[in-house]
Formats: sequence, C-alpha cells, structure tokens
Amino acid sequence: MQIKVVIGTIAFMLVMVILGVAALFEPARLGETTDAFVGRQVEKGAVLFHENCAECHGAEGKAIDCVDFAGEEKSCVGLPLNHAPLLCGEPSQRLQQVGWQSSKANYVSQTVAAGRPGTLMPTWSQDFGGPMEDYQVDQVTAFVLNWGEDPELCGEEAIVEAVDWPDSWEDLPQGDAANGPGLYQINGCAGCHGDPDNPGSAAVGPHLGNIGNVAATRVPGISAEQYIYESILNPNAFIVPECPSGPCAEPSVMRADYGFVLSEQDMADLIAYYLTLTSAP
Amino acid sequence: MATFYEQVREMGVKQATIAKADEIVERVTAGLNTNDIRSALKGDEPRRPNPRLRPHADGFWFHIRPSFYHTEVTHIYPTFRLGWLSTFMFVWETITGIFLMIFYTPRPGTAYSDIWNILTNVPLGALMRDLHRLGAEVMVLVVALHMLRTFITGSYKVPRQFTWLTGMLLLVLTLVLSFSGYLLPWDQLAYWAVTVAVSAAEAAPPAEIVGKNINLLVRGAPTFGPGGLLRWYLLHVLVLPLLTGIFIFVHYYKVVLHGHSLPPGREQIGEDTAKRVPKTERTYFTPDIITSELMWTALASLLLVVGSLWFYSAPLESQANPLVTPLHVVAPWYLAWSQGWLKLADKVFIAFIFIPALAVAFFVMPYIEVGKSRRYADRRVGLSVAMLFIAFMLISNWMGSPEYRVESSPDQEVFQELLPQEGHSVILSVPYEDLEIGTFEPGQEVAGNPALTDALREFEAAMNRHSCNLESDQWRDDCKPITGNDGTVTQYANNFTKDAMPDAEAVLIVEPEQHDMKRITLQIQSESPEGPVSTNTLAFRHLDAGYEED
Repeated sequence: MQIKVVIGTIAFMLVMVILGVAALFEPARLGETTDAFVGRQVEKGAVLFHENCAECHGAEGKAIDCVDFAGEEKSCVGLPLNHAPLLCGEPSQRLQQVGWQSSKANYVSQTVAAGRPGTLMPTWSQDFGGPMEDYQVDQVTAFVLNWGEDPELCGEEAIVEAVDWPDSWEDLPQGDAANGPGLYQINGCAGCHGDPDNPGSAAVGPHLGNIGNVAATRVPGISAEQYIYESILNPNAFIVPECPSGPCAEPSVMRADYGFVLSEQDMADLIAYYLTLTSAP
Repeated sequence: MATFYEQVREMGVKQATIAKADEIVERVTAGLNTNDIRSALKGDEPRRPNPRLRPHADGFWFHIRPSFYHTEVTHIYPTFRLGWLSTFMFVWETITGIFLMIFYTPRPGTAYSDIWNILTNVPLGALMRDLHRLGAEVMVLVVALHMLRTFITGSYKVPRQFTWLTGMLLLVLTLVLSFSGYLLPWDQLAYWAVTVAVSAAEAAPPAEIVGKNINLLVRGAPTFGPGGLLRWYLLHVLVLPLLTGIFIFVHYYKVVLHGHSLPPGREQIGEDTAKRVPKTERTYFTPDIITSELMWTALASLLLVVGSLWFYSAPLESQANPLVTPLHVVAPWYLAWSQGWLKLADKVFIAFIFIPALAVAFFVMPYIEVGKSRRYADRRVGLSVAMLFIAFMLISNWMGSPEYRVESSPDQEVFQELLPQEGHSVILSVPYEDLEIGTFEPGQEVAGNPALTDALREFEAAMNRHSCNLESDQWRDDCKPITGNDGTVTQYANNFTKDAMPDAEAVLIVEPEQHDMKRITLQIQSESPEGPVSTNTLAFRHLDAGYEED
C-alpha cells in the first residue's frame, strides 16, 4: 500500500508541475494562436476577395488590370484599396478626409457590409441583403487591412513620390488626349463620375460628358484647363452645387490624393482629354 | 461534550484545540478520528469495533461504496479497473466541461468565435478543450472496453442481468453525449458530420409524417440552425449528464447489491458467492481501496494531461457553412461503423431496422443467454461470436472512412490529399520560409529544402495513386486498360476507384500574394475522351497561420 501512496503522490506532483510549466508558456501560446487566427482570416479573406472583389478592385487591390469572370480585360471601376492614403495610419488620410469617426477596420468592414448605395459598390452583408455572412465580411476586411501591414506601403521604407505641382497648368508637359480614356478608367474616375458617354451613369460626382464646354464657364477668370487641373488636384477647390444624388457634399468626398498618384504627364493627358468631352445633353 | 471554552479552562488551549480538531475530523469522516486515520495509513489492524466501516454505514459519500471487496477483484485482472475508469472519465468530462461552459454560448453566430476565444484569449483554454475532447474519445473507448470485459467474464449472467442492461443504457448515453458535444464547435467538421448522421432520421417511414416530424424534433428546423444547436447543447450539458449520473448510480448500486462478480474460475458453475466473502479474503475500503483509487486518479490525470499537451490537439475547421459541403465528410470514429453500413444498405433498413434490432439484442442478451457457466472453456461459442462481432465492427468502421467506395474524380482526390479545403494539408504544413516562390513538379528535389522536398514527394505519391499512363503502366501493376461497352477506355488505379487520370501532369505553383502571404496553386492536366482537361485548386498560406502544428 505504501508504494501506491508514493506513486500517487509523485503522479499528482507531476501533474501540478506540468500544469505550472504549461501556464508559464501560456501567454506566448495565446499570442501565437491569436496570430494564427488572424492569419487564417486573411487567407480566407483572400479567397473571398479574388472571387468577389478583384473584378472591380484589381487582383492586387490597386484598381489596375481587372478581368471579368470570363477572363476578358475590363476597366476597374473600384477604388484602389492597396493604397497608402486609405491604409496607412490610424486614422488614415482617407478617413480624415471623409470625417470617419470610428476605426479603419470598421470603415472597411462597414463599406464592405453595406456597400455604397448609388455607386457601383454592392452590398455584401446578409444583414443588408447581400450574400456574405458576418464572419466572411470580417475575413475580407482582414485581407484588405493586411495590405496596410506591408512595410513597403506604410513603413519607413515606403516610397512616397510627391510631385511638386506647378501653380499653372501651362507649366505641365504637352497633353495627349488619347491617353485620357485609359487614365480615366485606371484611376477610378468611373466609380463616381460614371461613363462620359452615358449621361445617367454618374452616381456620386457630376457627369463629365460635357466638361469640355462647361469648364470655362464655371468660375469667372479661370480658364477651362486651370479649372480642371485644380479640381483634380484639390477636390475642395471648386464644389459644384448639384450632384446626381442631391447637393454635393462639402467638404468634397472626391479623393484628394491624385497629387500622389498621377504624374505630370498623366495630369496633362487628362486635362487634354476632358477638353474633348463636349457632348451637350 | 463540554463546550470549547470549558475544555480550554480544563486542559489549556493547545490540548483543547487538538481535541476539538479531532472531534471535527470524526464528524466529517462520519466515524474516524485522527488516530484511526493514522493507523489506517500505517497499515495497522483496526481497533474494535472497527471504526473504518462507519463512514459506509453512516456517511453519505461512502454509503454506496462497499466497506470491503473480495481480494480477487481488486487486482488489474479481471476488471482492468475499467468500470472505475468509466466513472472517472465521466467526472473528468463534467469538470472540464464546466470550465468550457463558462466561455461558450450556443448560438450559431457566436459559438465558433467562442471556441477561438477559448484558444486565443483564455489562459489554459486550449488545454481544457483538448482535455475535454480527448477525455470524450477515451471515455467512449473505455466504456466499450468495460462492456467487452463484462461480456468475456460472463458477469452479465444471473443475477446481474439488469446491471448489464443499465450498462448498455450507459453506453448509448455515452455515445449520444459524445456526439452531441461534437456539434457544439459549429465548424464544418461538426456541422456536416452531425447533419449526415441525423439525416437518417428524416427517412423514418412514413417519411412525410413521421420522418419529417422526427427531423424537426431533432434539428429544431428542417436543417440545423439556432434551434438545433440549442437543443443539442441542452442535451449535452443538462439532460444527458443527468440521465448518465442517475444510471451510473443505479448501475453501481446493482454492482454492490449483488457483490462484484468474481473471476470466472473462482466459483463453482452456477454458483454466485460474490456476497459471501470470507474474512481472510477481504480487502477493506479504508485504507486499501481508497488509496488505490486516489493513485489511479493521479495516474489517469497525468496520462490525460500529458496526452493533451504533447500528443493530442482537438481539431477545428472553418466556420460551419450550410452552403458548402466539404469533400469526404466523415462521422467521428466511434460512429464510423454506421456510416459504413449506410454505404451498403438502405437508410431506412439500417437506421430503423438493423441498428434497433442490434440494440435490442444487446439489451436483452443476458435474459436469453442463460448458460450457467461463466468459465471461458464452457463459453467458446459465445466468445467466438464476440470476437467475430468485434472484427465486424472494426471492418465496418473502416468502411465508414472515405477510402472505402466514396472517391470522387482522381484529380479532386489528389487535391484533397494535398490541399484540402479543411483539415491537415501536406503542402500547407511546410514551414512558410520553405515554401519557395516558383513552380515545382511532383517528386522534384529542392536543394537545401528538405521540408519542401518531402512535400513534393508526397505530391508524387498522391499522383501515382490516382493516375495511370496510357502509353505504359510501368507505375502500377493493376492499371489495366478496360474497354467499356461504348468503346471508352478507362484505367483502374485500384479496386475501389472508378478510374484514374491518364497522362497526368501536375505542377505546384507558389506565388507571392501579400507581403506575408503566399498563393499556392495545384494544377493537374490530363486526358479525357473529350480532349485535354485541366483543373486546379488554390490555397493561401499566411506567415503566422501555424499549420505546422496541425
């Protein structure tokens, strides 16, 4: 009987020691498992993104090189998501611009869940009639936010090429209007301003089909080219009163980062292109 | 007895305290004071009248425990302590289960994330979950082994038939307990395994009236959802533990009432002397049995804790998605036999005739098998039937696995082995840094990268299992071309698959997706009667995902 007492006591002590050691390693294990969970969410988000979002936002989220379900090239009507002004910092530049009071994660997940009625961004959450469950919205959000963790996007090694923009459009290089349609698509203009050939297609911003005629008349003393130039660089410069869904928002909800995204040549090409859009309704 | 104050005045504080402590010990143990306990632990003879019997006579906790056992049943043989171990496992499951209950809500929207919360946020949560899940599987095994032992030693015979019956009931309760708990994590594994098993209920004839309503009763709705999860949760934590506890008491009471059955060779045939234990063959509960039980408690706990920490990890797949059925849904191993039978015969026959008939046969067996002798030599037929039945169950279990008869197309089988939607993946288990960017062929050797080379070798093995070469079948002997009635030529990779891929070529492509995530594509190109066909599957691998541990 004595041996049983000894064995039992040793076994019990071993259990306590093992549990103690396990408890010591617990904080590290909890951290690892949390990282594993987030990593797996990002993986599943990747699958959902490529099935649902890449068609408009691009496979790399940069709103370039979009293909439709048949594999044909199409224009990217979505805004770039893999984009420093949206993802870098808390709050990021884009969040400050639109006056978003909550977190970056909520901005992304709410936009995915509810969509942007009136624009081409569909509703995704089942709560609002879309196809995805809450956890799937969370997974897509995790995937998009993961781009923001890339040191090359947001870190100190991030390459930020700021163009020193001249005050007058005349100091830009000679513009080639033929590049205009491509630039219009790639930079997501269609998402808010619609198709220039289709007057009813603009959902958020004013339709630009007649901007070639209208630009010179908007602000007395400012030429058409200067008006267009400043409107792209600083959306709050001249806000028109009427937008498709009612009075235009002030401050403007148009992206204010084209100054970081476009080159001087791109800008000149766009100005030249807009001047050719003269189809009066 | 004088009051404490009076005793202090009489004997001084120290003596009075000792006397008071002694009195309290005697009251708590219902009869043993500290000296009695000490003498029991030392192994001395008890004083007369024997105080060690009083906790059994007067106390609550020891009332159902016998005050002595026949020495011959206290060794490992003949019981292997399986009855004790079954009860231990029930208590173990209850305690670990209560811990998990604190962090779990039975709602489809939150159940799955509660499990992840237990794993990522609750200190020792993963250990508790593993202990509970491992304990459940061990409990099913132990209860089944206990049943087997009871059969082999003929302990079900007169007068213990009802004990066997309550034991069968406990086995059924254990299986349902385990199965109801299986659903609670609400992941793909849980949802689909339980859906497949319960879908047999829908077929209860006549299906439109009885089957439909049984299904609604079991699932709370036409398919599993919030109602079903709540029902199974209540079954798992309330109804079934209550019933199991009650029947454990009934079962154990019957064991004590008739006396624990002796080893078969010990008695005359037809005799039952279990209750009349001569004084020379008694092992008293205090101190021998209780010491033994405490030791086994410590040892079993140690084994379970070590097993959970180093050898076992409770599985967790992705969140339950009623719209997506993973390939190769399989029942838990203790129910795989039923899945095997369902592959052979009609759902109605198996679920409503065969299994109930088997259950009834088991329940009433002691009332039918009335042979007087418990000795092994006299029960050769019965023991042979038992062994054949065990073999039959093991084969049925294997038949329940995806390897038997439920293969899909060979390329999907390869994908399932290497990059399944759920579960362990050979490719994803390769450490993140070793998944080099590039394109790889099956069996390719990657210099300085043994993990990836091993995975590519598994890739080659999987391809070999599922493909034949039309030009030459040098890989496999059993890849004989067979020409069908309509002139189509098919190759058979083994006895159970319908066909294998001819002229198959496969590649594994690893590309960067995000800065800390890679995209993995498996592509297979093969020939079909309509021409070349190409399929692929896609997976993503994040740096932190931790698949190496799965």
